[in-house]
Amino acid sequence: MRNRIADLRAERAWTQADLAQRVGVSRQSINAIETGKFDPSLPVAFRLAKLFDLAIEDVFTDIDR
Amino acid sequence: MQAHTETTDYRDSNKKAAQLVLWTLIWLATLAAARFGPEFVWDAQQQPVASWVAVAVNVFVGIAWIVAFTRLLRALDDLQRKIMQDALAVTLGVGWVVGFAYFVADAAGLLPQGVNIALFPVLLGVIFVIAFIVGRIRYR
Repeated sequence: MRNRIADLRAERAWTQADLAQRVGVSRQSINAIETGKFDPSLPVAFRLAKLFDLAIEDVFTDIDR
Repeated sequence: MQAHTETTDYRDSNKKAAQLVLWTLIWLATLAAARFGPEFVWDAQQQPVASWVAVAVNVFVGIAWIVAFTRLLRALDDLQRKIMQDALAVTLGVGWVVGFAYFVADAAGLLPQGVNIALFPVLLGVIFVIAFIVGRIRYR
């Protein structure tokens, strides 16, 4: 699964730690999600989308599509 | 959805980890008391009740340790839980394979008498720590 989290975070000038704190996960999780090493659970994905005020499909894209 | 988010209170995980460390230390102390008490503190032949009490306390504290570990797992975020789950899976697998290999080798009379089964939990602990560190590095 691809995602735009690094770009969206950069647009807001947030660090990974800032984003992690806002979403309620570890900074390591944000890094792993951004680099595509780890796909977040549905609740975390929804929290990320809500934080960026976007639909979930605007943040995450199925890599096979 | 709500139920799941309630179990991923990541910010609480440090507190839960500290509680787990505390229960681990208490458990180790009660284990040492149960193991060495009959030898150095009381006479196991004359006071078997003391030995039973020491074992019972160790088991009771062990149950509290399990509860603390479960609470820590619930407090971790998704990635941390996955790393922990992978490390536990490796530990269980190694324990299973090495455990059965030990019994088979022992039954065949292949093991020297110096091999101590009490080292087995220590081996599992080392395997878990290594697997956990590998997981942390993998998702760094």
